[in-house]
Amino acid sequence: MLGSVPTTPKSLEAYRHIIGDEATEEILGLGENLRGARVLHVNATAFGGGVAEILGTLVPLMNDVGLQADWQVIKGADEFFSVTKAMHNSLQGMYYDWTPAMREVWLNYNRLNADLFDESYDYVVIHDPQPAALPTFLEERTGLRNGKWVWRCHIDLTDAQVQVWDMLRPHVEPYDGAIFTLDRYAKDDLVGPQIFAVPPAIDPLSPKNDHLPRETVDAILQRYGVDPTRPMVTQISRFDPWKDPLGVIDVYRAAKNEIPDLQLVMIASMASDDPEGWDWYERTVRRAGEDWDIHVLSNLNGVGNVEVNAFQRAARVVIQKSVREGFGLVVSEALWKGRPVVAGNVGGIPLQIVDGETGFLVNTAEECAEKLLFLLHHPEEGDRMGARGVDFVRSNFLTTRYLRDYLRIFCQLGGISMQEPAPARPVAR
Amino acid sequence: MYGTLALSHRALEDLADAAGRDTIDGLRALARPLEGLRVLNLSVTGFGTGTAELLNSSVPLLNDLGLDVHWQVVRASEDDASVSQAIYQALGGSAVVWTHDMTDTWLRYASMNADLLTDPFDVIVVHDPQPLAIHSYNATNAAAQWIAHSHLDLSSAQDDVWMLLRSHLEKYDAAMFDAPSYARGDISIPTYIVPPAIDPNSVRNMPLPDDVVRSVLGQYGINPDRPLICQVTPCDAACDLVGVYETWKLVQQKHPDVQLLIVLFTEPRDPNARACFDELARLSLADPDAFVVTPGNEIGNVEINVFQTAASVVMQKGLRKGYGMWISDALWKRRPCVVAPEPGLQEQVIHGKTGAVARTTEEFAAEVSRLLEDRELAAQYGENGRRHVAERFLITRYLGDYLEILAQLHRKGDG
Repeated sequence: MLGSVPTTPKSLEAYRHIIGDEATEEILGLGENLRGARVLHVNATAFGGGVAEILGTLVPLMNDVGLQADWQVIKGADEFFSVTKAMHNSLQGMYYDWTPAMREVWLNYNRLNADLFDESYDYVVIHDPQPAALPTFLEERTGLRNGKWVWRCHIDLTDAQVQVWDMLRPHVEPYDGAIFTLDRYAKDDLVGPQIFAVPPAIDPLSPKNDHLPRETVDAILQRYGVDPTRPMVTQISRFDPWKDPLGVIDVYRAAKNEIPDLQLVMIASMASDDPEGWDWYERTVRRAGEDWDIHVLSNLNGVGNVEVNAFQRAARVVIQKSVREGFGLVVSEALWKGRPVVAGNVGGIPLQIVDGETGFLVNTAEECAEKLLFLLHHPEEGDRMGARGVDFVRSNFLTTRYLRDYLRIFCQLGGISMQEPAPARPVAR
Repeated sequence: MYGTLALSHRALEDLADAAGRDTIDGLRALARPLEGLRVLNLSVTGFGTGTAELLNSSVPLLNDLGLDVHWQVVRASEDDASVSQAIYQALGGSAVVWTHDMTDTWLRYASMNADLLTDPFDVIVVHDPQPLAIHSYNATNAAAQWIAHSHLDLSSAQDDVWMLLRSHLEKYDAAMFDAPSYARGDISIPTYIVPPAIDPNSVRNMPLPDDVVRSVLGQYGINPDRPLICQVTPCDAACDLVGVYETWKLVQQKHPDVQLLIVLFTEPRDPNARACFDELARLSLADPDAFVVTPGNEIGNVEINVFQTAASVVMQKGLRKGYGMWISDALWKRRPCVVAPEPGLQEQVIHGKTGAVARTTEEFAAEVSRLLEDRELAAQYGENGRRHVAERFLITRYLGDYLEILAQLHRKGDG
C-alpha cells in the first residue's frame, strides 16, 4: 500500500441547486452504472498544486455517487523528486541535460512503488509523469495488470523535450486511456491509449468560490488596507514573466490617470523555495514604488482561499494579463463571482472568455488598458458581462462537469453502456 | 541591493479598541523623542516566519508613530545557503561539522552584503544570525547603533560556531532575545528580552460573523453544531500529531459527538515529519469525524481564524521550538487551551488560570474532556486568556519594548 491521502466527504446533492436537476441526474445515472467500481488515483504529492486540489474534490464526489475511490501518493526520496521535477520542467519545454542516471532513479522508484501496490482496482488513474511507469513494473512482477489504466497528464506536452518524452512514451503507450487538459496538449506520436480531453474546473462550494456576505468581503479588504468604497482591480497569479506582473502595474497606471481613486491588488502565489518567484516579487514591488494604492499580497503572508474569494468579489474588473498560460483556471474563478475579466488571449483563457460577452481577450498592454478603462467607465456593462460569465462557467467549468467527464470515460473504457449522452469527447485522430 | 517588501499602511489608532486608549497614548509619548529616527531591519526571509509576520505589522505601525523604519531582506545566495543552514543547526544545538572554509564563505558574503548597504541609518536591527557579520564590514553605518534581535534559542549553541558569532555580536550595541532562556551569559553587551506578540487587528484575529464561520466549516465537512477539538500546527514530529489523534480518541469515549480538526500550516520538511503525516493520514482517513487540513488546501488567515473561533478546545500537544504564538491567537479569541509543558507555551497558558498544561496523552484527554463538560470553566479560561494576552502578548507591548530600547540607545548614543 502506498500512502493514502485523507479527503473530506462531499455530496453531489449539495450541487443540485447550482447545476440543476438535469445535470445532477445525469451524473447520478452514470454513478449507478459504475456502482461499486473500485477506483484508485495515484499522484506524487498530497501537498499543494492543482492536482491535489482537483483530487480533494473529485475523490469524495466519486465516492458519493457510488464508486469506491481512493487517492494514494507514491513514495519517493529527495533524489526521486528532484529528478521528477526536472522531468516535469523538461516536458513543459525547459532544457535539461538528461542523464542515464536520472532515468534510472525514475525507474527505480517506480519499480519500488509497484512492489508496494498490493490491491486490484477496476480503474487506476495515474496523474502526471512521476508514477507513470507503475504499470510497466506491475506487469513485469505479476505478468498481468488488473482493471483499466488511465494516464492523466496535466502538463501541456506541446514543447516537451524529445529525450524525456521518448523515455516516458513507451511506459504510457500500454495504458488503456490517456486524458489531457486540452486536445492540443497531447502528443501526436502517442499511440495505444484512447485519448480524451478533460479541461479543469472549479468547485463552487469550496472556500475560494462559495458565497461570502458583502460585509465580510469589505471587512477583509479593510484589514488588508484596501478601501472597499473605492474602485479596485486585481490580478491573482504566480509572479513570473508569463503572468506579466510589471505589465499589470503599467495597465493600472494608465487607468489611474483617468480614475485617480483606483486601487490595484496583486496577490502573488509563491513557493517558499522559488528564487525566481522572489525576483519577480521584488521587481513588482519596485515598480509599484511609493503608490500606496497598489497592494502586493502573498499566500506566504496567509492570503488564502477566502481572501482570494473576497478580492475577486470586490473587484470592479479582474485582470489576467498572461502572455503565456496553461489553462488559467483563475479566470473561471473570477467569472463565477460575476466579475468581468480582461485577460491575455493565450493558453486556455480563450476557452473561458467569450470575447465581448463575458470579458475581453487582449493581445497588447494598450488593448488591456483600453478594455479595463471601458469596463471601469461602464460598470453596468461589467455587471452584465459578469452575469453572463456565471452562466458560462456553470455550464462548462464546474467540478461536477469534471466528475461527469471522468465517469463517462470509465464507462467507455469499461464497456458499460451509457444511458444517453455521447461518450466523453474522444478525440478523432 | 537587498530585497524590499510590500507593506500596507497601518494606523496605530486602529489598535485603540484592542489595546486601550492609555496604551496608545503611552506609545505616542514614547515615540515622540524618536521622531524621524531612521531604523533598518534586516532579516533573511520576508515571509512565512513569526519574525516576518511581526515585522509585517510592526514596521508600518512604527512608521505611523513617526519613525522612519525600513525592512530589507538579505537573501542567501546558493553557495552560502548551506553555510547559513549549518549556522542555524549549530546554534540550535545539533552537531555540525564547521570548517575554516565555512567561516571564510560566511565572512565573504557578509563583506559583500556589507558593500551593498550604502544608505545611512541611525539604528540597524539584525534579526537573523546569517547577516550578523555585516556590521563588521559596513563602513557607511559605522556610527549607527546596531542591535541583534535573536529569535533563536542560543542556550545550547555549538561552541565553535557560537564563538565565531560572538566575536561579531560583541561589536553590537545591544542584543535582544525572545525569551530569557534563549539568552547567553557569556556576552558583555547589554541584553534585553522582547517576547513575540500577536496583532489583534490582523485578519487572523478579526471578529467573524457566525454565518461565515458556519459556512466555512461546512465547506471543510465539519459540523458546526458539534464540539470540535482543534490543533493548528506546523507539520513536525515534535508537535505529536498522532498524539493529538489519540487524545481525541480517548475523549471520544466519553463524548462520542466530538470532532477533530488538525490544521497543518507547514509541509513536512524532514523524514520524521513525513512519517508522522503519513501515520496521521492513515488514521484520519478511516474516521469521518477526523479532519486534516494541509497546506495543499491553500488555507489562509480567514480560515485559521474560523477554525480557532469554532474550536471548543484548542490543543498544542507539543512544540519543537519557540512560542507557538498561534496559541495567543486562540486565547485572544477566548478559547480554552490545553498545551504541553514547553516554556514558550507555558508563558501563554498558565495552568488552572488561562488554560491547562498537560503531559501525557491521558492527561490531555482528561483536561480536554473536563473543558467540554464544564463550559463555565472553559469560558473562565477563555476570559482570563484574553486578558493575559492583552497584558503580555499584543503588538502594542512589542512596539513599546522596541521604543524603550531605541530610546535608551538613542540617549546613550547622544551622550
